[in-house]
Amino acid sequence: MVEAMGMLFAAESPDLPTVNDFLPPEILFQGTPFALNRIILIRIVATIILLIVLGITASRAKLIPGRWQSIVETGIDFVRESVVYQVMGETRGKRYVPMISTLFFTIFVFNLCGIIPGMNMAANATVVMPLVFAVWVLIQYWVTAVREKGLWGFVRDECFPKGVPWPVYILLAPIQLCELILIRPASLTIRLFANMVSGHLLVATALAFAQYWVIDATNKLAGIPIGALWFVFGFVLTLFEAFVAFLQAYVFAILSTVYISMSYPED
Amino acid sequence: MDIITLAQVSGSLSVIGYGIATLGPGLGLGILFGKAMESTARQPEVSGKIQMIMFIGLALVEVLGLLGFVAALVVA
Amino acid sequence: MTLAEGGIDLFLPHTYDIVWSLIILVIVALFFYKFFMPKFNAILDERAAKIEGNIAKAEAAKAEADAAKEKYEAQLSTARVEASKIRDDARAEASHIIADARSRAESDAAQITANAQRSIESQHQQALVSLKGEVGVLATALAGKILGSKLENDDVQSSMIDKMIDDMAGSDKK
Repeated sequence: MVEAMGMLFAAESPDLPTVNDFLPPEILFQGTPFALNRIILIRIVATIILLIVLGITASRAKLIPGRWQSIVETGIDFVRESVVYQVMGETRGKRYVPMISTLFFTIFVFNLCGIIPGMNMAANATVVMPLVFAVWVLIQYWVTAVREKGLWGFVRDECFPKGVPWPVYILLAPIQLCELILIRPASLTIRLFANMVSGHLLVATALAFAQYWVIDATNKLAGIPIGALWFVFGFVLTLFEAFVAFLQAYVFAILSTVYISMSYPED
Repeated sequence: MDIITLAQVSGSLSVIGYGIATLGPGLGLGILFGKAMESTARQPEVSGKIQMIMFIGLALVEVLGLLGFVAALVVA
Repeated sequence: MTLAEGGIDLFLPHTYDIVWSLIILVIVALFFYKFFMPKFNAILDERAAKIEGNIAKAEAAKAEADAAKEKYEAQLSTARVEASKIRDDARAEASHIIADARSRAESDAAQITANAQRSIESQHQQALVSLKGEVGVLATALAGKILGSKLENDDVQSSMIDKMIDDMAGSDKK
């Protein structure tokens, strides 16, 4: 993306984004476990912004909310009412509200980095950050299951459901166990990560073509209208990415809640 | 082009693969949203619940399409 | 297109990536768990309490207004009762006064009638007496003239007069 935008010299073909955008070189502390690359730097900056903005909002929070405070409160309310309480009810959901709020706000802000000029790369765009979130959810629903049903009770309920003829268990049990341990966190991770990757690739491709046609193409007569169309397309895609940023945060939060609530015995 | 080669594909096969992989999720999304709309029209009072369930289904369908995308990236 | 190049590397985590992700997750989670959510929960609880307090206050005000209204209505009804009582009293008094006046007038009228009757009676009596005297004299003179003789004897004279008068009275009574 940056390369695509920064390239002002004539080129043979549009400077399309590649997956190497997601594998930037280490720029600080090379070779140590604390090495920094571009995406991690974006992630740290996003975290600091998130902490400062929400921290100031919280410390200045008043009984009668101002405009910004009511926006933040709408977000909190949304997570609590439309996600957690809607899925698992108030009595069970109360203890998970901070966790789901953390996931929702962090993922949303990290996703938004993908369309902020200058960053242009979602902070979730390495596989590890979504994976860490997903593993947190995995641990949380296993812990909940062990507390509510006991380890064996949970595995029995999920892998050997009642009312199924026993030969089916041979097929069902491994699949369900795989689902519990592997597929749930993997699908959470892949959904978030792949959305960010594809979003970045789409926007960057559209803008790269816009730049190629407007600036680099030799035939200006055809180049400028086509480039303008590509630019409009890129602009619309950017807006779409903003929507996706929200949608993915919402989906991640609601699926985490659903997985946790599936650890409770049915009432 | 050789005489023995009847058809030749150039470029990345994984792109075609991804194109095929979107078909299933595309149909799924269509059915999902259509049914959600229908149920909301029938019972507007539970639209919140329907919407929530719809988004869960959307997430499950979406991951299929994204698996195609990921497979295209990984197995090149 | 170089999509294929290094595609699998996307899914191979680096150690430093894991380290930073964990650090960031822990920081963000601590922030949310220890500061952000409690703070906003406190604010929201306080607001809910305040709203409830306001509702209670409004209810108290409403109760007060209800009580005032009730009191006012009670006063109004007592006033109404009093007014009707006063009106009744006045009406009664008025009829009383009218009756009084009528009875007084009637008694006056009776008295006046009686007085008039009495004076008529007395005048009648007087007239009778004076008539009696005059008629006697007149009759005597008339009789003297008729008889041509003078009734010297007073006794005869008076008995004659009496007899005449009695006859007159007798014819009068018939």
